[in-house]
Amino acid sequence: MKLDVRGEICPYPMMRTVDALGKLPPNEELEVLTDHAPALATIPWEASKRGYAVDVEKVRSGEWKLTLRKAQGPLDPMAVVQEISQKTDMGG
Amino acid sequence: MSISVHIGPLGARVVPAALGLATLIVSAQWAPVLGFWWAMGLGMGFALQRGRLCFAASFRDLFVNGRGELMRAVLLGVMAATTAFAALMARMVPDPSMGELAPKIHVWPLGANVLIGGLLFGVGMVLAGGCISGTLWRIGEGYVGSLVALGGILLGLEGAALSWNWWWEHSMSKAPLIWLPHSLGHMGAWISVMAALAVLYLLTYWWEARRAGPEVRFPGQPQPPLVTFQDRLRALWNKLFVQAWPASAAAVALSLLNVTAFAFDHPLGVTGELSAWSSRTFGLVGLHPGHLEGLDQFAGCNLVDAPPGLLTNTFMLDVGLVFGAFAASVMASEFKIRVPRQPVRYLQSAMGGTLMGYGSGIALGCTIGAFFSAIPSLGLNGWLFGLGLLGGAFVGSQIIRRLA
Repeated sequence: MKLDVRGEICPYPMMRTVDALGKLPPNEELEVLTDHAPALATIPWEASKRGYAVDVEKVRSGEWKLTLRKAQGPLDPMAVVQEISQKTDMGG
Repeated sequence: MSISVHIGPLGARVVPAALGLATLIVSAQWAPVLGFWWAMGLGMGFALQRGRLCFAASFRDLFVNGRGELMRAVLLGVMAATTAFAALMARMVPDPSMGELAPKIHVWPLGANVLIGGLLFGVGMVLAGGCISGTLWRIGEGYVGSLVALGGILLGLEGAALSWNWWWEHSMSKAPLIWLPHSLGHMGAWISVMAALAVLYLLTYWWEARRAGPEVRFPGQPQPPLVTFQDRLRALWNKLFVQAWPASAAAVALSLLNVTAFAFDHPLGVTGELSAWSSRTFGLVGLHPGHLEGLDQFAGCNLVDAPPGLLTNTFMLDVGLVFGAFAASVMASEFKIRVPRQPVRYLQSAMGGTLMGYGSGIALGCTIGAFFSAIPSLGLNGWLFGLGLLGGAFVGSQIIRRLA
């Protein structure tokens, strides 16, 4: 499923993504197109709470595509934290 | 999570930075004071854009999704500035018990106008999706909606100027001015304010744990190892100019600029200049608010009548802010002309801007002047304005939910 929230600013990219996740058929991924940089922080946060992992790809200047996929199995926050601590540089 | 694709040749992306540097050198040679404020503006725009430090979001997120990360960044910046401001003010007024006030600090009477201004501002910044400084740096990033918000801000400031004498007579002139060092001494005032800020900092964790659910972060893609000197330089470049800064880094950078500005002359504030733009604009259609009572008694982002020349210190600061954000966004290849697609967003920006303009007009400043510079000035007005912002952001969050 694809969701185009370009032109929207906070908090709408995050709110509309959460709505779309509610309608997402099982085993499908959600592609969100946004041109609002703060959404790169708000969307992954809300997605992770709902068990989705997020990839971010820059499409062109000021535009990003976020891909939300259901994480394998239930999320274990401790495991995730451990994995992060092994990688010193998180990047964007 | 990592951003893997960088777009556009580096050459094209450093042009705005080079231009900013060139204008800085020229203006500093030709008029050092204007050059100083131009540098402050460029620095503010750069730091705010890189850290995406949105004061509106720092209050709104508490209510929209229970997050406190941005509020903690803001509080950290306020704590840093409070410490340096306290030291500077102790130099300026060695014996505060005599009733003297440090010059040009953002302390003014605790009138209902400060609280009501904060409330209106809080609603407005959430509706418009950014406060006044946020509107300025987003204009630099290419947000068309922020231009609409700026129009609203100018309209609201004119409204505040037209009704200022009423606020002066019924609130400002009767209210007590409280500067904590008068009663607590410099050290006592500093400790009290820092303790209050630290309590709020911890409260955001409590709020987050209660409201936001578990915090889970996904790891980024593995980064290539840094082998050569060039690798390390490139990584540094990316950290500074390409990847987003942590919001807390931007907040501390902003407070450093604020302290520098205060040590040079006066704390940061962006609204006073906009009120001059407002006064000029509405003066063209014959609207003149006339004499504003009592304003000359206060520092801060006062409503000002348009000064004779265009190139003032505050003009350099505000335009520098827009240009600094523009340069930062082009260097990170984040600049884009962004046009809202839903008509209701234009209305939100215009109304939010108007509320912010009016609120900042009657409260003598925005999130920068009446909050970020006011709490470190050790008066109580910054706290009252902040309380208003919090209440306003709560109301605003209820409104925007219904406009999705």
